[in-house]
Amino acid sequence: MPKILIVDDEEGIRMLYSMELQDEGYEVITLPDGKGLLEAVERERPDCIILDIKMRDYNGLDLLQEIRKKHYDMPVILNSAYSSFKVDLKAVAADYYVVKSSDLGELKDKLKVALEARIPDQ
Amino acid sequence: MKALEENPEGISKAEIVVGIPSYNEASFISFPTQQADKGLTKYYAERSAVIINCDNYSEDNTRQAFMQTATQTPKIYLSTEEGVRGKGNNLKNLFTKVVELSAKAVIVVDADLKSITPFWIRDLGNPLFDSYDFVAPLYVRHKYDGTLTTNIAYPLTRALYGRRIRQPINGDYGFSGRLAEKYAESEFWTETAANFGIDIWMTTTAMRNRVSVIQSFMGKPKIHKPKDQIVATVSVFRDVIETMFQLMGRFELFWKEVKWSRPTAVYGMNLGDPEVPPPVELDPKALAENFLAGLRVHRDEYRAILSPQNVNKLQEVAELPPAGFEFPTGLWAKVVYDFAVAYKRKLLPTEELIGVLLPLFYGKTWSFILETQPMNTQQVEEFIEDQCLQFEKAKPYLVERWFSE
Repeated sequence: MPKILIVDDEEGIRMLYSMELQDEGYEVITLPDGKGLLEAVERERPDCIILDIKMRDYNGLDLLQEIRKKHYDMPVILNSAYSSFKVDLKAVAADYYVVKSSDLGELKDKLKVALEARIPDQ
Repeated sequence: MKALEENPEGISKAEIVVGIPSYNEASFISFPTQQADKGLTKYYAERSAVIINCDNYSEDNTRQAFMQTATQTPKIYLSTEEGVRGKGNNLKNLFTKVVELSAKAVIVVDADLKSITPFWIRDLGNPLFDSYDFVAPLYVRHKYDGTLTTNIAYPLTRALYGRRIRQPINGDYGFSGRLAEKYAESEFWTETAANFGIDIWMTTTAMRNRVSVIQSFMGKPKIHKPKDQIVATVSVFRDVIETMFQLMGRFELFWKEVKWSRPTAVYGMNLGDPEVPPPVELDPKALAENFLAGLRVHRDEYRAILSPQNVNKLQEVAELPPAGFEFPTGLWAKVVYDFAVAYKRKLLPTEELIGVLLPLFYGKTWSFILETQPMNTQQVEEFIEDQCLQFEKAKPYLVERWFSE
């Protein structure tokens, strides 16, 4: 069962995503912000991270840079209420950028693709 | 291949090398040489460095212009033998030389660059001292600049090898000494790789070797000397497409297993507001005429190369009114894949095969212009992202055709 880490400072979003993704058969863990994110990634080894951008004390784009330094190929989907962060070059390091919506269809599609993506080692 | 060398300071070791490939660039080579020198002395003062001009035995005093440029960094002039041409041949000499120098980092920049700054040396070089092996450039470009990259090179390499490198065929790169060894030792070398196919050869070889890759944001547009756009486009098109098809054959067991694609992070984002790139004018009327004429003239070839369904769809596209013309990317991806399969099966002599792809590329470019006309840079990037996804979605079609029989 793929393990998904959701990082979002809105409790409602964390609850909604957890329910929806668990219904789809994923194991879900959540964090309310970027505090301890790298440790959680190291400990939990998620198969994909769904990362909010604009959080109270953290910026998801900066967190993504930190993740990439240690986890070159970990799938990360940026998930924001704002589409304007797409122009930030830091967003290029994400597998996908999905604008938040009440319909989680696009997020689920991109999650499926991100988990399927594969480049053989040799 | 034998190289001619002039190494007045007798340099035998260097940690960092800047290579400048050239052919008849006497009027231009001093500027990138000076900028490389400034970058090396400012950002790598603690490291031993050398600037190498790898030349094609230019007849216009490129060697003198390079060697006489005042620099603090030592210089080496390296050349192919008289009569041996090709950018790839220059770089092959460079690969051998940097291995001999035991270099840890190599930066390559074009000899006719007008917009290079010392930052380019820093930003193409720094990731190489931070565990990365290949640094691809990310320029600010006008939406119509680089249509070969946008419509074939980027989506095809991304779908095949699974790594998103936005500018896979540009002349400025950084690579590690480790990767230089792989380049130097590669048994796979062709005439097109020895020419304009070298950039896609280097990028693809890096991806295939699964080295760590990063993109570096250059902050400024790439501006170089004016070229005859049509002549340059046709010869680059032939070399790039043939090299991509050759590499597909070489690496078929690898790309067959690649699914979707993974991102490549960006380095060097603290350069302030990017400069606005100069506008690029393309002539939609000429593109349309070349596309439609090509369809008429090469009807039989298209029937031989394309699947019957794609022939019919192409006919449908050709019958659209010019104002509402659109070459759907899903169809375009399958057309490109059909041509790759035709190359593998040797359905036509290579030159002819790639020659008949060219009008279809013009048609796709015409469609790209019409569709992206009202879009800003960010919207065009999203449009290109969607094109790439369509190449990825159509990949099972390629796998099925390529590996059948």
